[in-house]
Amino acid sequence: MREGAAILSAMEPLTLDVLRTLAQERGLALTDAELTGLLPLVEASRGMIGALDEILARDDEPSSHFHIL
Amino acid sequence: MSELVWKSIGDLARAIAAKEISPVEVAQAHLDRIAALDPKLKAFITVTADSALAAAKAAEAAVMSGERLGALHGVPLALKDLYCTRGVRTTGGSRILADWVPAEDATVVTRLARAGAVSLGKLNMHEFAFGPEGLNQHYGTAWNPWDANTHRICGGSSSGSGSAVAAGLCAGTLGSDTGGSIRIPAALCGLSGIKPTYGRVSRAGVLPLAWSMDHVGPMCRSASDCALMLNAIAGYDAQDPSTSVLPAPDFTAALTGDVKGLRIGVLRTFFLEATGVALRQAVEEALKVLEGLGATAHDVNLATAKHAAGASSAVIGAEAYAYHEAWLRERPQEYGDDVRERLRVGAFVSAAEYLKGQRARAKIRDEVNRALEGADVLVCATTPLVASAVGQNEIAVGQDKVPVRSSLIRFTRVFNLSGHPAASIPCGFTAGGLPVGLQIVGRPFDEATVLRVADAYQRATDWHRRRPPIDPPAATV
Repeated sequence: MREGAAILSAMEPLTLDVLRTLAQERGLALTDAELTGLLPLVEASRGMIGALDEILARDDEPSSHFHIL
Repeated sequence: MSELVWKSIGDLARAIAAKEISPVEVAQAHLDRIAALDPKLKAFITVTADSALAAAKAAEAAVMSGERLGALHGVPLALKDLYCTRGVRTTGGSRILADWVPAEDATVVTRLARAGAVSLGKLNMHEFAFGPEGLNQHYGTAWNPWDANTHRICGGSSSGSGSAVAAGLCAGTLGSDTGGSIRIPAALCGLSGIKPTYGRVSRAGVLPLAWSMDHVGPMCRSASDCALMLNAIAGYDAQDPSTSVLPAPDFTAALTGDVKGLRIGVLRTFFLEATGVALRQAVEEALKVLEGLGATAHDVNLATAKHAAGASSAVIGAEAYAYHEAWLRERPQEYGDDVRERLRVGAFVSAAEYLKGQRARAKIRDEVNRALEGADVLVCATTPLVASAVGQNEIAVGQDKVPVRSSLIRFTRVFNLSGHPAASIPCGFTAGGLPVGLQIVGRPFDEATVLRVADAYQRATDWHRRRPPIDPPAATV
């Protein structure tokens, strides 16, 4: 668990082996073909989420709920 | 085919209350049309003909005995198959829930019934609402009625809702919208639909895709019909703690036809990029119509809009995975390939990334709020594309090829993140006869102004009155 969390927080490049480890930690039994299909999608998602840093400052708080009024 | 199936919700309710037509006659006309067309359209997953006719007979008896009638009394509606319905299976468009029969109605289902609506059944959708095309490999992909020859997508995830209302199989429906799932099928099927403000309509008893992004709203053939349905479903619900305690206004009372002096913020940067020429022209023409009615327009830019994809990926990915986690471990083979793969991506979103999405969301919401300080509504295309053929993953826009799936949600998901009310209404057709949608966005809890603008536009145009070329040939004598 600790290894997977560390890998994700560091935003290091994903490899098939890393993805396999992360999937196993989450209880997902994925074949190599499934992991290979997922890899570019997870990379794309991480890339888009990483780009959010462009608009975020350290003290920006989350808007976790939209109970506006 | 009976002309009754093309009557508006408002006209049906008035004619039924005046004893000019019977609710039984109306329900039967729609059931006949479903029987004739739905084998091709695949708009319905479950047709509840017997209970619909029983409800229609009860509605007729209530009219004849002079009972006080609800605003939707005797009007035949249908529900996207993610609304829990007591005693009627609710599949979520999935194999996993193929035989699940809820014990309770969703709050909005109860409210529609209280208003007198007659339910014809449950409508097709992208599996678990996780896809903007409206594909479904379990129940078949709903057919867009605007092309009788080529199987085109309806848009999703409320694909059956789009197909059914456009084809006259029901007078209106409830869709749901997490990234555009009401507005996209409304645009691609030539309908009017509104995603109300987050918190305006209860989500209790609605299968979730992403709790903090899901919105419940109507899809009809006009903005005025949307107002009638919204009147019936809006307002606080103790079963859904995210609903607002703000009283819901009478949305039909806002439909004055008057937009003189209304300030329109026009979203061109980003929102008209990679958009087909016919769509851009239709949006510009729609603006001219609104200006002709006395509104003023100025350009507005939402610089954070380009980050909606990242924020959505984090928030929807993590929330959808959290809901599906156990099924993904235990019954993965029962998901459709596309949805299973997309859900699994959410397994790799960390807590920090999820919160990054929520933090970005606050920035997006604040920017939309600022844009609406200088404008009463914002306007742009609903989608950059019209309905593509089923199985077509890319589509040509000018010299470029763009991916269908990510393009469809490009202009809509911003307002799921921000929570603002947003409608789509038809504003034209391509040369090939496919509808184009205009998106109208309002201030939080100001659905009334969004609907007023949509209704004023529809009083001046007839795009929403056109019928798709789906009717079977008339019988020869």
